[in-house]
Amino acid sequence: MKLFVSEGNPHCLKVLAALQVSGVQCDVQYVNHDERVVPFLSRPALPALLLPSGLHLFSSNAICRYLFEVSGQDCSELCGQWLEWEATDLQPVLLQALHTAVLQGKGSEVSQVLKGSLNHLEQSLSKGNTPYLTGDAVSVADVVLWAALYPVLSDSSLALDERKCVKTWFDRGAATQSLQSAAQKVLQGKGLQGMKNYMQRQPAPQSSQCRDTQPCNSSPAEGEESER
Amino acid sequence: MALRELSSLEKYLGLKKPNKYSTQGDKKIPVLQNNNGPPLVGLVTIACHLVKEAKRPELLGDSAESRAVVQQWLEHRVTKLDGCTKEDMKTILKDLNLYLQDKVYLAGNQFTLADVFIYCGVHPLIVDLAVQEKEQYVNVTRWFDHIQHHLGLKHHLPPVVVLRNRIYTSRHH
Repeated sequence: MKLFVSEGNPHCLKVLAALQVSGVQCDVQYVNHDERVVPFLSRPALPALLLPSGLHLFSSNAICRYLFEVSGQDCSELCGQWLEWEATDLQPVLLQALHTAVLQGKGSEVSQVLKGSLNHLEQSLSKGNTPYLTGDAVSVADVVLWAALYPVLSDSSLALDERKCVKTWFDRGAATQSLQSAAQKVLQGKGLQGMKNYMQRQPAPQSSQCRDTQPCNSSPAEGEESER
Repeated sequence: MALRELSSLEKYLGLKKPNKYSTQGDKKIPVLQNNNGPPLVGLVTIACHLVKEAKRPELLGDSAESRAVVQQWLEHRVTKLDGCTKEDMKTILKDLNLYLQDKVYLAGNQFTLADVFIYCGVHPLIVDLAVQEKEQYVNVTRWFDHIQHHLGLKHHLPPVVVLRNRIYTSRHH
C-alpha cells in the first residue's frame, strides 16, 4: 500500500492526518502537483492511495474512510453524512475561500465566504452537545473536517468568536499531534502561503451562486447573498 | 431528479414502504425524515441508508477495499458529474472509459450501488452522444448497456439505444 501526496495540497493534509490517527502502516511518497499517479485519470489527482489489489483511490475522503476502516473504526451513517457534506457543500466554498485569501490576498473576505458553512457546523455542534461531530469519540468525520478547515481557521485573520462550539471543537483538533504534524508536512510552516503554488494550478472556482437557479451575479465576491 | 432516483432505488431494493422525502436549499439536497433519529441529508447518505434498510450490504462492497472504491464513485458522482460543464464531461467520459477497460462493474466483478449512481449520473451525457461519439467511449457504453439491462433494475430513466457492433471502421467527419 502506498500513499502519494504533494506539498501545499490541502487535500493531502486530510489523508496525512487520517494516516496518523488511524495508525495504519503505509509508505508515503511525495510527488509534484502535476504528477499523474492514477493511470486512468487524465488530470493529476492527489492524494492517491495505491491499494494492495493494485487499484487506486483518488478521493481524499474515500482514502481517509478506508484508513479508518482498516484500523477497525467503521464510518457510521452520521459520519458518512458529514463526509458527504464536506465534499459537496464545504469544499466548493473552501476552494473559493482559499482562492480569495491565497491568490487575491483578500484574507478579510474569507469569513464572509465561509459564513454559511460555519453556521451549519455551529448549529449542529450546539444541537448535538457532544465534543465531537458524531459523539463522544473522534471519528473520521472530525479528522477530515479539522484538516479541511485547518489552513483557513488557523490563520489569524479569521475570528471564530461568535461561534463558540466550532471554536472549542476546532481547537481540540488543532491541538492534536497528528494534525500538527500533518499540517507541518503540507504547509511547511508557511500557513496559507504554503498553498500558493498549488492554488495557482487550480482552475478558478465557479461561484456557487452561478450553479444554482438564481441568476448569476456579476461580482459574487462582494456577496450580499448568504452561502446556502 | 434526486428524489425520483431514490424512489427507483427503493423499488429496485424491494422496500415495501416508500419513504417520504423533502429537499433543502437551492441545490435541492434530498432529506429523509427518520423515525429513529435525526433526518438524513444528502443523496449518498440516504442511498446507503436504503441499502442497509433492505439488508443488501454487499451493494456497498464486500471488502474494505471494495467499500472504499464504491464510496469513491458515489462521491465522484455528486461532486464531479453533477453540474459538470461540457468540457469536464469529455474528460469524465474519457477517464471512465479507460477505467472500465478491464472491468465488468465499477467495483470490479460485483454489481454495486456505485454502478447505479454513475449510471444515473452519466445518463444525460450518454443520451446526447452521437453514434460516433459512443464508439469513442466503447467501454462506457458496454458497461452502460449492461447496467440498464441489469436484472430487476427498473429505472426512471428512458433506455438508450446502444449499438454493440462498430458501424464506423474509422472516424468520419
